[in-house]
Amino acid sequence: MTEGDRRISPSPKEGERKLGEPGPKTPDIGRPSAENELLKRMRRIDPDQAKKYRQRSGQ
Amino acid sequence: MRAILAGIETEYGLLIAGKGAESQVEEAQALVREATNEGLGLWDDRHESPRNDLRGFKLDRLAYDPVDAAFERRVSAPAAQIREDRILRNGARFYNDHGHPEYSTPECFSLRELALHDQAGERIVLSAAREHQRRTGIGVTVYKNNTDFHGASYGTHENYLVPRGLALEALTENVTPMLVLRSLLCGAGKVGAEAGQACDFQLSQRADFLVEPINTETLFRRPIFNTRDEPHADPARWMRLHVISGDANMNPRCTVRKMALVKLSVSLAESGWSPPWRLRDPVSAFHQISRGSLDLAIEGGNAISVQRALEDYFAAAEERLELEPELSGAIRECRDLLTRLGDHERIAGYVDWAAKRMLVQMHLDEGGTWQDPMLRSIDLEYSNLDPESGLYYGLVAAGMIEPWSTDADVELRRRRAPEPTRAFVRGLAVERFSANLVNACWRSLTFRLSDRTIEVELQPDRLYPAHLSEIDDVEDFVRALQEQA
Repeated sequence: MTEGDRRISPSPKEGERKLGEPGPKTPDIGRPSAENELLKRMRRIDPDQAKKYRQRSGQ
Repeated sequence: MRAILAGIETEYGLLIAGKGAESQVEEAQALVREATNEGLGLWDDRHESPRNDLRGFKLDRLAYDPVDAAFERRVSAPAAQIREDRILRNGARFYNDHGHPEYSTPECFSLRELALHDQAGERIVLSAAREHQRRTGIGVTVYKNNTDFHGASYGTHENYLVPRGLALEALTENVTPMLVLRSLLCGAGKVGAEAGQACDFQLSQRADFLVEPINTETLFRRPIFNTRDEPHADPARWMRLHVISGDANMNPRCTVRKMALVKLSVSLAESGWSPPWRLRDPVSAFHQISRGSLDLAIEGGNAISVQRALEDYFAAAEERLELEPELSGAIRECRDLLTRLGDHERIAGYVDWAAKRMLVQMHLDEGGTWQDPMLRSIDLEYSNLDPESGLYYGLVAAGMIEPWSTDADVELRRRRAPEPTRAFVRGLAVERFSANLVNACWRSLTFRLSDRTIEVELQPDRLYPAHLSEIDDVEDFVRALQEQA
């Protein structure tokens, strides 16, 4: 996904070369026992939190 | 090798319920003002020079993101008033930087000390946010990250004291490739892309915003190697390596590692070494590593693996430098991580991007897809400073990331700077002599004494004597500082 609304520079570069495999591989997760508490915390997250999150550019 | 003084500045993301970026400057200003009990509003900005360039010129103006330039026009108060600059009793600086609460740690020689101060900064910012929420009744959330996922970025900058005599070319030849390479071991991770080639997940938060190899800019057209010449010390003796390309790290192990790697490259530059290869296009290489590529094009038509390139640095450091334990430990840890890169879960306790990728996978395993907006919210919430809801802290609470420090370790750094650098002296001045302190900055303190006002230069390469903390009389304190000059 590419969803930035802003231009990052006056002339952003596009289409960089690919030399290796694309993207980190999906890990084979062995579920730790404490996962339930963590999943509960994740389920409390507003799915649209990042959509609503707008910031000014900083340095 | 020379001990290198260093510091970290973090611009925090700020979400006020029901409000957007248009009022962010005023909100950040109000949030910083809540930290009244943490220090004094006496920051001295006379020595700041953000338009000076290490290459020997001064810019007429810095570039602004056009979207944010519109926000700037809304603000009419004087810049110093908007910043709400505060100098804290631990020697740190806390202020409003372009709408972001920014915590600048006290300067440290020890990277462990520095990472502890970075954690203390999280608590100071969170306390101010909670106070702001209590006073206004409006929800406040603070994030330690570098993007809003809509194309706005804000920085986590590192600063390293470097002798002015070191040639800039030697510094750039060593440091620029390392800033590219270290993303693999220190990136904070990001769901999706905001510029360039689309991807589901990448290692660096900042990569999409880096578009030039070298320049003075920080707000727009950001470079990998920043040439701002603002030494915060005697400019005849020192320059400051101002690194703006790194990510905000939640895991302090990453904070230590990313700065150890830069210290290694600076020390190698001072030793006369430079890598036996040159990246053909550092900006493209930064983007490629972030998207998981492990082979980079070098000049001469060949490629080099990221692991091999890092090993060149490590071998040269071991051969040429008398390494401090923190740096030799960092090399050992990096080599170990490089052998385990294929197993994200095994390195999740050490590398932020791997921990974040593991959380993303948990959502995917529950039936989610890469198109879910939830994934970016998971990314964002990884960096939420609230220990009760943030996902990094959730991983720590679940025992999936080992605690790196104790509560007492961090609280101590919130109150003072134990390492006796110039930050220790600055903190003493705030704590003990506030009635006489006129103003303060990184390089000096100005006192009003009975018969005069005097500015005392602080020495950035010095460890100050512990007995300074036992002096009760301001005249004696100033005299003792002058004897150290």
